[in-house]
Amino acid sequence: MRKLDISKLDVLALMRYDACTRCGECTTTCPTGGEAQDVELVTPRGKILRLREFYKSQYGMRAKLLGPKEISEERLKELASRAYECTICGQCKTVCPAHLDTIEMWENMREFLVANGLAPLPAHEQIVKSIENYDNPWMQPRTQRSRWSKRIEKEVKIKDATKEKCEVLFFVGCTAAYDPNIREMAIDTARVLARAGVDFGTLGNEEGCCGSTLLRTGLLGSARGLARKNIERFEKASPSVIVTSCAGCYKTIRQDYPKVGKVNARVVHVAQFVNELLEGGKLKLDKRVEGVVTFHDPCHLGRHNKLYDEPRKILEAIPGLKVVEMERTREEARCCGAGGGVKTAFPELAQKISSLRVEDAERTGADFLTTSCPFCYQSLKASIEARGSRLKMVDIMELVRLSCTDPV
Amino acid sequence: MSDGRYLKDRTRLYLLFSGVVFVISAVILLLPYETVYVRDEAYLDVFLVTIVVSVAIFFLGTLFNVLIWMHGKGLEGAPEGRLLRLLVRAARLVLSRRFGRIASVFAKDALYLSKLKDRSAMRWAMHLLILGGFMSMFLLDLVVTISLDFLKYQPMIDDSGWAKLWLRDFGFDFVGLILLFGLVIAAGRRFIIRPKIVRTELPDAVSILFLLAVVLGGFILEGVGIAGEIRGHQLDNDYSFLGYAFSLVMPADIGRYYDQAWLIHGVMSALLIAYIPFSKLFHMIATPVAIEADKMLPEVRSA
Repeated sequence: MRKLDISKLDVLALMRYDACTRCGECTTTCPTGGEAQDVELVTPRGKILRLREFYKSQYGMRAKLLGPKEISEERLKELASRAYECTICGQCKTVCPAHLDTIEMWENMREFLVANGLAPLPAHEQIVKSIENYDNPWMQPRTQRSRWSKRIEKEVKIKDATKEKCEVLFFVGCTAAYDPNIREMAIDTARVLARAGVDFGTLGNEEGCCGSTLLRTGLLGSARGLARKNIERFEKASPSVIVTSCAGCYKTIRQDYPKVGKVNARVVHVAQFVNELLEGGKLKLDKRVEGVVTFHDPCHLGRHNKLYDEPRKILEAIPGLKVVEMERTREEARCCGAGGGVKTAFPELAQKISSLRVEDAERTGADFLTTSCPFCYQSLKASIEARGSRLKMVDIMELVRLSCTDPV
Repeated sequence: MSDGRYLKDRTRLYLLFSGVVFVISAVILLLPYETVYVRDEAYLDVFLVTIVVSVAIFFLGTLFNVLIWMHGKGLEGAPEGRLLRLLVRAARLVLSRRFGRIASVFAKDALYLSKLKDRSAMRWAMHLLILGGFMSMFLLDLVVTISLDFLKYQPMIDDSGWAKLWLRDFGFDFVGLILLFGLVIAAGRRFIIRPKIVRTELPDAVSILFLLAVVLGGFILEGVGIAGEIRGHQLDNDYSFLGYAFSLVMPADIGRYYDQAWLIHGVMSALLIAYIPFSKLFHMIATPVAIEADKMLPEVRSA
């Protein structure tokens, strides 16, 4: 009989499983369990009740008196698979009347599933191998990481932070560095930083994956290894500020790295940093960008880090641009469907969710849908194309670049 | 960790547990029960046995639930040792300068249910009525028991004393009515309106019906006492407005069944206490604890 090892579940998580009142507030707004497919086991309440039932049958009072109950492999695997149909968007944390920190609960639940040999899912294993072998989830050689910067090397001075001292370290992230469709994000960010006269550099090919993918899929051990390596690189470069353009990297470096080691720099997202440049008068947005724009709050930036105002302040500072809000915005914003490994393991589900978000944006009548996360950008753009929507997907740094530099 | 240490922790925890159960049981058994008006003492004895066993089951069930928490990561040592250390730490925290913060978190998030208020006014009101009624009932019971059985406060004993009329008669009916209102809304929502988010399984139905039965049973018992002119229940006592209303539809000879009605209500109340750790009602304990633990843990953030 398989006895579940609950020593990987946090003490706090175990308390929270009992604290769930089964009210179901989380079930309707859950993008994967409630909105996209209406499957109770995928909803936060469903997962909590099922896992609680499992471990109580092996550790509860009845188990102490009569012995632990056997749980069929089929049921265990069903829970494992369903647990990964969650983008860890944190909408359930926003709505939970019992104040449960469900974001921590889901990440911890995955760690538990991995420890019990029930995860990662086969689809995630490929990503894990890629990160282990290539230091990025996209199966791309390490030597290609800094290729994005070649296009602007004559135009923008990007320091090599492994060799030269720089004030600001631009942590590019794997998606913006490798995905040819997203590279513009990194390029635009570099152009904007240069325009503001920021003394910045990157780790070039030495930059490693931040480990977000591993953390969100429950592979804490491997993620900690990556974190340690990156912290060492940060130490060597010793910048005052680390700027990330990826919301996932931002969350990981800001919230998860301190659990592994001290990051001796201020960690900010590029939206925060650019907003500070604007407020400090170091960056001027004087060129008009005509159109109506709506902003999609990335979960890792919004609900996970409470950064809602900064991107909006930037957009409002761009002359000619009119900002409109989607009905579900800020902490209530619908997820794009890509996070938490859902896009990798359940691409159809991810597509369904991102399509709902694009629909939200369409209803505003906006011309542009913008965001500040490469992952959201990738999935929303794909949905816009699949739907044949009239919306144009733009990264927030593209809009800033258009407003602060001459056309290129 | 050596086996000796484990055995020591285990022994200390179970001794502490037994001590708590023993003290509570002793208090229960030694109370003079001035306001228990059963004519046959055997009914009181059956109730006392049931309540002592129920309290022991409640504490045992709670202990086992909390010991499951202690299996989790983040603490060192065996679950029993972890729990002992946590209890000491929690006691120190409560007695520290941070008590104000603990109390305000408890009041705002666990009692006032700040988050639920913003999401659904109806559910917030329902929950507040149930929680408020439950807690007020408990507090009132405590006040009445202390003033009656320990302090022998005369106005609480005399049939026309202000405390008897306003606290024992009106007070219990009022908080009972609050609780009843909340439970009726909850039952109506769960069994009649049935919104999509509500999922009713046996434990959900049992919890709500159990509570309803205990609260309604209390009013019926009071009605039986008033209609049957049992000692301590004056006829036409409209301070006990709900019990009095029930008494109006009862025959005069209903008083013959007062002892049985008292025992049924008492046993059901005791069983409800025993049922808490094994039901969804355990969230009454776990949710405030989880909220406090979450809020009191310092946030780890980069510099």
